[in-house]
Amino acid sequence: MDSDMEMELESDSDEEFNDDYDYYNTGEDCDVERLDPKRADPEYFEYDCLTVEDIEKLLNERVEKLNTILQITPALAKVLLLEHQWNNHVVVEKYRQDANALLVTARIKPPNCNKDQADAASTSAAAAAASTTTQLAKMGSYKNNTSNHSSSSTTTLSTTVSPQYRSQMCPVCASSQLGDKFYSLACGHSFCKDCWTIYFETQIFQGISTQIGCMAPMCNVRVPEDLVLTLVIRPVMRDKYQQFAFKDYVKSHPELRFCPGPNCQIIVQSCEISAKRAICKVCHTGFCFKCGMDYHAPTDCQIIKKWLTKCADDSETANYISAHTKDCPKCHICIEKNGGCNHMQCFNCKHDFCWMCLGDWKTHGSEYYECSRYKDNPNIANESVHVQAREALKKYLHYYERWENHSKSLKLEQQTIDRLRTRINSKVMNGSGTWIDWQYLFNAAALLAKCRYTLQYTYPYAYYMEGGSRKNLFEYQQAQLEAEIENLSWKIERAETTDLGDLENQMDIAEKRRTTLLKDFFPLHA
Amino acid sequence: MSSLPRRIIKETQRLMQEPVPGINAIPDENNARYFHVIVTGPNDSPFEGGVFKLELFLPEDYPMSAPKVRFITKIYHPNIDRLGRICLDVLKDKWSPALQIRTILLSIQALLSAPNPDDPLANDVAELWKVNEAEAIRNAREWTQKYAVED
Repeated sequence: MDSDMEMELESDSDEEFNDDYDYYNTGEDCDVERLDPKRADPEYFEYDCLTVEDIEKLLNERVEKLNTILQITPALAKVLLLEHQWNNHVVVEKYRQDANALLVTARIKPPNCNKDQADAASTSAAAAAASTTTQLAKMGSYKNNTSNHSSSSTTTLSTTVSPQYRSQMCPVCASSQLGDKFYSLACGHSFCKDCWTIYFETQIFQGISTQIGCMAPMCNVRVPEDLVLTLVIRPVMRDKYQQFAFKDYVKSHPELRFCPGPNCQIIVQSCEISAKRAICKVCHTGFCFKCGMDYHAPTDCQIIKKWLTKCADDSETANYISAHTKDCPKCHICIEKNGGCNHMQCFNCKHDFCWMCLGDWKTHGSEYYECSRYKDNPNIANESVHVQAREALKKYLHYYERWENHSKSLKLEQQTIDRLRTRINSKVMNGSGTWIDWQYLFNAAALLAKCRYTLQYTYPYAYYMEGGSRKNLFEYQQAQLEAEIENLSWKIERAETTDLGDLENQMDIAEKRRTTLLKDFFPLHA
Repeated sequence: MSSLPRRIIKETQRLMQEPVPGINAIPDENNARYFHVIVTGPNDSPFEGGVFKLELFLPEDYPMSAPKVRFITKIYHPNIDRLGRICLDVLKDKWSPALQIRTILLSIQALLSAPNPDDPLANDVAELWKVNEAEAIRNAREWTQKYAVED
């Protein structure tokens, strides 16, 4: 901005070289744009397309980092990161503030368990820090009554420890077994190995992984992955568990998105979490990085969701019914008015009535128009609801028709390109020009599709916009864009009679209109 | 059918030996996973004096999944619909393998004492229960007399 201003000032003072300055000025601008594409292109978006292996590595690095800082098991680190958007700093911060609260909110510990111990630890900070650490290390791991079985021994937990050789009854299968067959979490609810295993498999089968909880009623302590993977032996179930858990991890990471392309394994990563378009480098699916739906600039994620739901559900059917139908005053069946005449006869009970006032038709006779005078008397409340519904329907249909129309045009223009391709092919074969000579037409067609796509998504935006000067401006720019797009479409369809310069000019204008609209209305940092 | 799990045998034995007051659950002669249940209406509830028949079935993966329970006797209750289906958290997402037939039936008995119209299954009943509790309770009493009291 500043450099622009300076240039303008300079050129004002130096009239003779005005042309030269303009020339350099644009040159300068281009450089600036190249240096800061964020400012020049409202749709500029930096992202990476990563594989599952890349992501596993990335997540494991975070886990290891947390392990070393807090001295905890990887399983516990995963739970804590999952619960805190994979932000190590937040986890460490929260741990230093109140380790007990952190473990309770992450559902590693039940509320009120070991409370005294933890309170003591968190109040006398430095001295007790060590003991909290060991406590934290113990938490999140499960307890097995064989002291040499689980590596992080948990024998000092305040809950009762059953001697490993005393037999115990499992509350789930009701069978008595030796103590070493029993496992429990920080909550101390003890169940036998076989029951845990069957329970885990049942949960995994339902697609549950990181959210598997303790088997005890009303206990919400979470089962960390090390216990699941210790007990679940069947490779199929283990794989499933790891797949589901991986999905949960990616979904909980704000900077990662699964590519929505069918059967695509790519995960897109970006530090900028905004409604920008990401295009998968493998399957070429484009989508909004923020919400994962089809890219929808200038409309934002909430609005487009609202709009698509509105288009998909039958709320408009309801409005239609309200706007075009009334109930028969006699038998109350719903009647659609399908002609102009206001003399209605109910198809169900054959009652004759007036559509306007819902009165008996007999009283109308030749004096039909009289009813308009009484119209607002008996039915004012109903009328106003009908009028409102009709108005709402009209508004929606206005935007919906345009939205639909541009969507159809996009498809039709794809057919135009296909036709162009065959025609150009035959031209090249007949020796008129080379393939390269006609390449500009495809660039033009691609640009047209890009512009029309944006135009399509301006309609939901306008539908939900409140009236006022900003809406006027928006609709003005929208109209401008629309006009240029139709010009461009016209020229592409008649490509052979349009000269190259004219077409390129038209492309430039259309794209400028599009970026102007996006710059003004696309919420960049929403 | 595979042999009956120890857990079901144990539970059945205990239900017979130490029955819960107001609750009677007897396994079917031909199917040990199917129970004929009778719950008496709790005192100080509009269902007092009623004898309600229910059916209870233990699915193949019980206790990993909850038993299926249904009222057979018609009942006017915001959380029980016309088909006798029951809206109760412990029968759905709050089911735990450590819960038992006994605890489930106790929860159902408690539901009769404390209807929850804010989490309705029978919408019309719940609506009336909220706007005019007195009338709803009157209806519940009437239904109890009509359908749940043997002459």
